[in-house]
Amino acid sequence: MSQPKEIFVRTDRCVGCRSCITACAVEHSASKTLFGAIAETPRPKSRVYVEWVAPDHKVPLVCRHCEDAPCMHACISGAIHRDADGVVRTDADKCIGCWTCVMVCPYGVIGRHLEEHKAYRCDRCPDREIPACVDACPTGALVYQTVPAYSGAARQHASRELVQAEGG
Amino acid sequence: MPPGSLSKRKGVDVNEHQSQYVIVGGSAAGMAAAHTIRAKDVRGTITVLSEEPDVPYFRPLIPFLVSGQKQPEDMALTGSGPYMGADIAVKTGARVAACDPDSRSLTLEDGTCYGYEKVLFATGSRPYVPPEIEGTGAEGVFALRTLADARSMAARAARTAHAVMLGGGLLNLKAAFALLERGVKVTLVVYSPEVLSQLMDPEDAYLVRKALDDAGLTIHTGASATAIQSDPSGVTGVALDNGEELACQMVCIGKGVRPNVEFLQGSGVAVDGGIVADRFTAASRPDTYAAGDVAVTHDPISGAPIMTALWTNAVEMGRCAGMNMAGIKTAYTGTFGILNATQVADEPFVAMGVVHTRSGDYEIHRRATATTFRKLVFDPGGNRLVGAVFVGDIRNAGLYRYVIRERMDVTGFKPAIIDHTLHYGHFIC
Repeated sequence: MSQPKEIFVRTDRCVGCRSCITACAVEHSASKTLFGAIAETPRPKSRVYVEWVAPDHKVPLVCRHCEDAPCMHACISGAIHRDADGVVRTDADKCIGCWTCVMVCPYGVIGRHLEEHKAYRCDRCPDREIPACVDACPTGALVYQTVPAYSGAARQHASRELVQAEGG
Repeated sequence: MPPGSLSKRKGVDVNEHQSQYVIVGGSAAGMAAAHTIRAKDVRGTITVLSEEPDVPYFRPLIPFLVSGQKQPEDMALTGSGPYMGADIAVKTGARVAACDPDSRSLTLEDGTCYGYEKVLFATGSRPYVPPEIEGTGAEGVFALRTLADARSMAARAARTAHAVMLGGGLLNLKAAFALLERGVKVTLVVYSPEVLSQLMDPEDAYLVRKALDDAGLTIHTGASATAIQSDPSGVTGVALDNGEELACQMVCIGKGVRPNVEFLQGSGVAVDGGIVADRFTAASRPDTYAAGDVAVTHDPISGAPIMTALWTNAVEMGRCAGMNMAGIKTAYTGTFGILNATQVADEPFVAMGVVHTRSGDYEIHRRATATTFRKLVFDPGGNRLVGAVFVGDIRNAGLYRYVIRERMDVTGFKPAIIDHTLHYGHFIC
């Protein structure tokens, strides 16, 4: 089986433009267009967040689909499962809006859809080759890769920096 | 019976069975353990013995059967969420009467024997019915615990105009709302000065209380029932200790739970309130384990022994026990005695860790708006978060739980905690 791809975050590259947030909300709207999405009620929700830490760090956050997902095990209604691609999914039909997942997620990336009284999170854009947030990121702060490919690139990058620092 | 004799006679006597792993109890802790074992041990035989007539289900969903919003098949556990393991034999209606750790065997009430190599006690708890209340045996008196209870309650609800709930805990509130949904008038009788006294101080519960009042619940605080009146049709009323009498056709008792440990009498398994479990979820006799409501575990902050009756905790401990039973030594991190998230009457709230602060030395920060309330409780030095209550806005609650559980030094981001603006970026920048 080929390795599934995941969304990696490079905080050093994020400039805080929030393009990912807009793209995610549009992708999860009924119309799937920006102008349509803006007019929809309830307002389409983004599943990706960009936080800010002083002095000026921007931190994009999105569900990591944890290997040992606390939300999945804590769910009291069996609404959260992991699919064959490793994506942790919330089944809106089964969700009772008790927010136990919100209470146990250590990343704070599970949203509460107040109008529908359901929890929601990143679904890795099942209809797309590349998730909308990654596609929209203009700086490469969001990377859609397999774990070996991403860690390989990170290692190469680190070795280059090391060689440069040593004056090579 | 000498050890090993069970397996030799396997297949000869239909009343004797052998399974590598036997799990007593088919709810959160038991099923979480069973599926964890299956993930780690593909071949080992796993048998779950459940005293309930129903196949395992998500117990927290049973109020939806009372309200009519869900049917039993919507609540089935196997095949839902993380419960996807195969080849787990579940015997329903199998109530264990005795355990003999010397011969590694269990005896059911009907005389059937189960031999085990490793056993998990996950027998859970049962509702506590205060003996000082007279007449609790009458028809129409419930303590909502099982799917079977929910069925009878739903049936009775059709003939109920007014229900009285004794106890102001979360379970009774859920049951109360299920009945309200069906158009039943509901009165809550609470001995404490305020509802949800286990989860927050009375002065912190005002938003929840307002939401309950607005939703149409009638609440009597500072009162308790002395007797339940009945005639051949069942319940007719409740007498309170303040002299009041409430006419009703249904009573629901929500006065806490007690662990199911009686079957261990004479087994030598140490019981102190509940079953005593070590850091690795092992009970005191060889190859015995305990998890869930029935187990005594520890609070990660104080280290004090505690018992909880929460689905989420039971799953966590059950998974840990499953790992240990499958041979992967795993320490249980313990749990807060209080760890609740829910929504009642459109008011979401979370309570975790130290939430009762009327006695004890704490640094407390309370903030309130018209629609939200929060209370952050720090240790006396102010460097460690030990508890949190959020009402109305429960955003990012999991981060606060993480800070409490990991006993993080909060110096770098304490203002964000107090302002309820904490996010994961604070941990990594």
